[in-house]
Amino acid sequence: MIEIKELHKSYQMGSNSLHVLKGINFTAKEGELVAIMGSSGSGKSTLLNILGMLDVADSGEYYLDGVPIKDLNETKAAKYRNQFLGFVFQSFNLINYKSALENVALPLYYQKIGRKERQEKAMKYLEQVGLKEWATHLPSELSGGQKQRVAIARAMAAEPKVLLADEPTGALDSTTSYEVMDLIQKINDQGNTILVVTHEEDIAHMCKRIVHLKDGVIVEDKKIKQVRVTQNV
Amino acid sequence: MFDRDTWQEIFHTLKNNKLRTFLTGFSVGWAIFILVMLLASVNGMQNGFTNQFNDDATNSIFIRPGTTSKAYAGFEAGRRIQLKNDDYDYIRKSFPKDIEHISSRYFTSASAHYKGETGSYSLQAVHPDHQIIEKTVILSGRYFNEADQANKAKVAVIGRKVGDDLFKNEDPLGNFVELNGLSFRVIGIFTDEGDDNAERRIYAPISTYQQIYGNTEKVNQIAMTYNSEYDLTKALEFSGRLEDLMKRRLKISPEDQSGLNVWNYAQAFSDISSFSAVLSTISIAVGFLILIAGIVGIGNIMVFTIKERTKEIGVRKALGAKPSQIINLVLLESTFITALSGFIGLTFAWILLSIIGPNFDLPAFSNPSVDLSTVVTATIILIIAGVLAGLIPAVKAANVKPIVALSDK
Repeated sequence: MIEIKELHKSYQMGSNSLHVLKGINFTAKEGELVAIMGSSGSGKSTLLNILGMLDVADSGEYYLDGVPIKDLNETKAAKYRNQFLGFVFQSFNLINYKSALENVALPLYYQKIGRKERQEKAMKYLEQVGLKEWATHLPSELSGGQKQRVAIARAMAAEPKVLLADEPTGALDSTTSYEVMDLIQKINDQGNTILVVTHEEDIAHMCKRIVHLKDGVIVEDKKIKQVRVTQNV
Repeated sequence: MFDRDTWQEIFHTLKNNKLRTFLTGFSVGWAIFILVMLLASVNGMQNGFTNQFNDDATNSIFIRPGTTSKAYAGFEAGRRIQLKNDDYDYIRKSFPKDIEHISSRYFTSASAHYKGETGSYSLQAVHPDHQIIEKTVILSGRYFNEADQANKAKVAVIGRKVGDDLFKNEDPLGNFVELNGLSFRVIGIFTDEGDDNAERRIYAPISTYQQIYGNTEKVNQIAMTYNSEYDLTKALEFSGRLEDLMKRRLKISPEDQSGLNVWNYAQAFSDISSFSAVLSTISIAVGFLILIAGIVGIGNIMVFTIKERTKEIGVRKALGAKPSQIINLVLLESTFITALSGFIGLTFAWILLSIIGPNFDLPAFSNPSVDLSTVVTATIILIIAGVLAGLIPAVKAANVKPIVALSDK
C-alpha cells in the first residue's frame, strides 16, 4: 500500500542545513496498523507529513497504492489527499463553527458528493464512532475524546486508502486514549491501513508493528503481538 | 461557483462572525451611501439650475441699454442710451436668418382696478413673440397676437395671482380690468413657476401702451431667440455680431462695456453646464476615493480573517480542498459582503432620497435623486470592488501551507 525508498529531507535553518530524514526505506501492506515511534526530533512527524503529502521530500521515491507520488502541485496534492488519505491530528482540528455532522461531511464535499448522500454517509460514520446523538453539536460542546472520534469519523468518511494519525492520543487522558485506540483497532479490523505516530509505549503496543526512528533513520522495525483494548469475541 | 454548498459555507461563516461581517460591510455600505448622496446632490443642483433657466428659452439674447462710460464719436461719456422702435425693426430686418422670435419690452407699473378690488402690479408691454421668448404658459384664454398688436387693442394677459386678487371667484376672462384708468379686456391668464411675483404681472401689447404714453417710440429692452439649430460657437458669434452692429448704430465705443449689454443665455448656460459637470466629476472622484478606503478596509479585514482562519484553511486543504476552491470561498465571501452591504447603503440612500428629495425645492437645489444608470454602475463597481478586496487575501489563503497551518499545536 505504502512504499518509500531512500527518502531524504533536510530543512534549511539559517546557514545550517538540518538533515531530518536520512534515507528512509519503508513498506506497509494493506491492512497494517503501524506505530511510528521516536523521540522528538527523530523525524517521525516529518515522515508522516511527507506520507500525507503535506510536505515534499528532497529525494527518494514514494508509491501510494501503486501510484507514484511526485511532481506535486497544490491542486494535484489536494486531489491525492482527498482520494487516498485520511488525517487524524493531535489537536483534532475540527472546524469550530461546524456541527459534528458537518465536520464529518466536509471531505465528502471536496469529493463533490451530493448533499443528501453526503449527509447520509457522514451520519453513518458518526454512528460508527458512537456519536450519532451528537451530530448537531458543535465541537465546543464535545469532550476531547468525542472530538477525536468525530475527527476519526471525518478521516474515515472519505474512505481513504490510508489513515494517518499524528499523536491521536497526545491531548487525551489515558481512559479516553484507550477509547480512541479501541476505535482505531476496530477500523483496522475492517481492513484499513493505519499509521499512528506516537511516543507512548502503551499506545504503540496496541498496534501490530512498531517502527522506531532515531536521528532520521529507522533503527528498529518489528512486528509485535497486538494488545487489544477490548477483547473481541 | 454558484452551487448551494458554497453559499451555505459562506452564510455559515458570516453567521458565525456577525460583528466582523457587520464591521466589514459597514465601510463599503457607508462609502456607497456617500457616493450616491453626492451624486444626488449634484443632480439636485443641476435640477435647480435647469429649473431656473427653464423660465426663459435657453437660446435667448437680451439687449439692455445702459450709460456710456467712454467718449465716442463726438459724444461725451455718461450718455444714457435709449432703444427705440427703429432699433427693433432694424434688428428684425438685419438678421432674418439668425432670429426666430423677437420682442421689445417696455416696463411700467399699473394700478389695476376691478369692481371693489385694487392692486399695483408690474406691467410689461411686449410684442406677441414675447410669449415664446419668456416661455409664458397660458392657463386659459390666449396670448395677444399680431392683430391685437396692429390694432393697438386694449387687451391684457394677466398672471394667475392677479386674477385671484382682483376677480376673486369670478372668471377674469372677457371681463374688463381698469389699468391706470383705462379699460383693458382680459384675454388670457398665465402661470409661471418662478418666484412669487412672477404671477403678479400683466402683459399688454406694446403698440397699445406706446400710444397711451404719448405716442412714444421708446422701448426698455429688446429680447429675442436665435435660430435653435445654432451651437454655442455660432450663437456667440451671432451675439457678437449683433453687439458690434448695435454699438455702431447707437454710437457706442466698441470697448464700452456699460453702454450696451448684449446678454446671451447660451453663454451663461454653458458656463453653468461645465460648472456642474466639473462638480459631478469631483463628487464621483471623492466618492470613489471613499469607496477605495472601504475596499481597503474589507481587504484588511479579510487578510486578518485569513490569518485567523489559517488553521481552518490548513484543515480544509488536508481534507482535499483545492487552492482554487479556497480562492473561490474567500472571493465569494468578500464579494458577497461587499455587494450586500453596498446594496444596503444604496437602498438606504435611495429611500432617504425618495423621502426627503421631493421636499427640496430651493432655487439652486431641487429634487436630488439618482437614476437607474447610477444604480447599475454602482452595483457593477461594488462587485468589482468585492473581487478586488478579496483578491490579495484569497491568494494568501490559497498559499497557506497545510503543514505550517497544522503544526502550531
